[in-house]
Amino acid sequence: MKSFKKFSITSALLLGLSTAAYAEEKVVWWDFLGGGDGVRMKQLISEFNTANAGEVSIDATTLEWGVPFYTKVQTSVAVGEAPDIMTYHASRIPLAVEQNVLDEITPADWDAMGLSSNDFAEQIWDGVTGPDGKIYGVPLDTHPIVLYYNKDVLEAAGQLNPDGTPKGMGSREEFTNMLKAIADSGSVKFPLGSVTADGNFMFRTIYSLVGQQNGELMTDGEFLAGDNAEKLTNALSVLQEWTTSGLQSTYTDYPATVALFTSGEAAMMINGVWEVPTMTDLHAGGKLFEWGAVELPVIFDKPATYSDSHVFAIPKGSATDPAKRAAVLKVMAGILNESLFWATAGHIPANNSVTNSAEYKSMEPNATYSTLTANMIYDPKTPLAGVAGPIFDVMSTHFVPTLNGELDPAEAVAYIKEDLNDM
Amino acid sequence: MLRNHKKESLVALLLISPFLAIYGLIFVYPTIDMFFLSFQKAPLIGDGKWIGIDNYTRLERDRRFDTAMWNTAYFVALSVVPGTLIALFISIGVYRLSGRIQSLVLALFFLPYILPVSVVYRIWDWTLNFQFGIGMYLFDWLAMDRIPIFKVTGWFMPAVAFVTIWWTAGFSILLFLAGLRAIPAEIYEASALDNSSRWQTFRRITWPLLWPVTALVLTIQLILQLKIFDQVYLFSVGGRPNDNLVMVYYIFQRAFVNNDGGRAAAIAVVLFIIVVVVSVLNFQLLKFAERK
Repeated sequence: MKSFKKFSITSALLLGLSTAAYAEEKVVWWDFLGGGDGVRMKQLISEFNTANAGEVSIDATTLEWGVPFYTKVQTSVAVGEAPDIMTYHASRIPLAVEQNVLDEITPADWDAMGLSSNDFAEQIWDGVTGPDGKIYGVPLDTHPIVLYYNKDVLEAAGQLNPDGTPKGMGSREEFTNMLKAIADSGSVKFPLGSVTADGNFMFRTIYSLVGQQNGELMTDGEFLAGDNAEKLTNALSVLQEWTTSGLQSTYTDYPATVALFTSGEAAMMINGVWEVPTMTDLHAGGKLFEWGAVELPVIFDKPATYSDSHVFAIPKGSATDPAKRAAVLKVMAGILNESLFWATAGHIPANNSVTNSAEYKSMEPNATYSTLTANMIYDPKTPLAGVAGPIFDVMSTHFVPTLNGELDPAEAVAYIKEDLNDM
Repeated sequence: MLRNHKKESLVALLLISPFLAIYGLIFVYPTIDMFFLSFQKAPLIGDGKWIGIDNYTRLERDRRFDTAMWNTAYFVALSVVPGTLIALFISIGVYRLSGRIQSLVLALFFLPYILPVSVVYRIWDWTLNFQFGIGMYLFDWLAMDRIPIFKVTGWFMPAVAFVTIWWTAGFSILLFLAGLRAIPAEIYEASALDNSSRWQTFRRITWPLLWPVTALVLTIQLILQLKIFDQVYLFSVGGRPNDNLVMVYYIFQRAFVNNDGGRAAAIAVVLFIIVVVVSVLNFQLLKFAERK
């Protein structure tokens, strides 16, 4: 017994000593940034760690995007093993609040970071506001989809404006004609590369086209009410038409779409801004043609582009200790201040101070497509929405056959409506 | 010597208590809890509200549940008996070889079995990818239209069943080979002396003597394939998940995607009952066949 007492005293002393020697606060970080943007985030993290050596250090882990990430978050919060800070999608905040996995970012926290609602665009701030009016995330960026294009191919087909942007961007007819002209030039396999094998991804494109007709997915808790169903049918019809007339790649999954574009087999591609670093890096290495990225074409009545935000969130029950909390807030504010560099990952930074800077305004291709920020639409605010959420599954199942010409658009919309209201 | 039965059983109890404790904690308790959960409207994590048998009555009108049931049954039909027959066929072939060649061929057939499911998925996804898969060049070479195998409902289940058989046949082959080696050579010699044909030898000697192993392989396969999840999940990522649903996938979807623990538990209970009933039926049926 005596020896045990002695042992415990020694170990307590040792523990005390070690905490004194290592006052550095370790912040456990999880993200789902696995692409070219992940490389840039790792650089930001290591720069932060160097700048704050001895005070705060980030211990970062990158996990699989989508359902695996969000499942792990949920279970880890339940057993008290969640990280101190994590990346999250703003579109999933309503579901997260229902699941009770996020901690509120309190007014005191905002003061500590030196940030407030004035630093963000209204839509972005709205995205991190929960159904209860509390704020659940610190917005890092907004990441819409854009139209990538191969300048060499478009120029050869006579489809390039003098300023280097594509010609037929104003209407459905103009855009289809441009696709046809590219097809006729015979230099590519597909004028447009789309992720037609992945309905999850296509949700972004299709929802943008619905938004271009002023359509909405959910009104007063009902899905596709009134003429919204017809608007979804219109959106699906135009995409199906491109496929069946051979203008768009069929049954192409995500990696294959990027490969079709970068190998020059597809002249254009609709994809997220997060592929910008892929293009930049390939081009810098001399392995890519001249390329550009612009806001989506106006196929219907007005410009509209689907977007989502990456935000920082604190899992429920994490970082409750004041010192830890302070460190976490320091990390968030620190990375946000460096988000001009984050913009090289293609994303549009969320904080106005960065997007208003002259440096940002001269950045390419960001400057060309940043006009779209005025036309962004977000997911409906419901626990059923969000990347890899329930709506995604329903849509995906019916989008894939429709986009590839197997299913009639109107029929698909009837199924979708039935399935959505069934949930 | 007089034995103290009371004391003996006490010692026995003491010895198995660690097992009982763990078994109770990680199997019995969650199972009972699942039954209770199935009568509640509850999130995946956290407390729920008692709602009686609503979760079960809803299954009747749940089209996704129907899809999951039929797909699971279809998959079992496509994989269990065909998989067993193919393994039997291959093992008979391997048995005829000898020495190093036999070991080498056996190793080649067993190789896929040691791969994790994610690697199996990658291999076949690369092979059959619609745009870049090497398998697609075969279609081109035969001047046929390419088929997006994992994106069309008609092709999905047969393709996944094929991949599953390719992946798991190695283990069944091993079991069959052990069974074949246990059949005494004298019996074959005797039948050869009696001038029996190859088919007669198989039908009258190999098949009946191998039956216990066949029954074992069938049972293992049946239980395994009723619980199919990994392959279906991986191959339908981003594609048509709701058309390709199987039971375990649907449980996963309800619980982890829809955050609906109660309804997920109700489906899990149904699957649990199906597995119990089917295994008992299967066992009785195989025993009956053996006696005959």
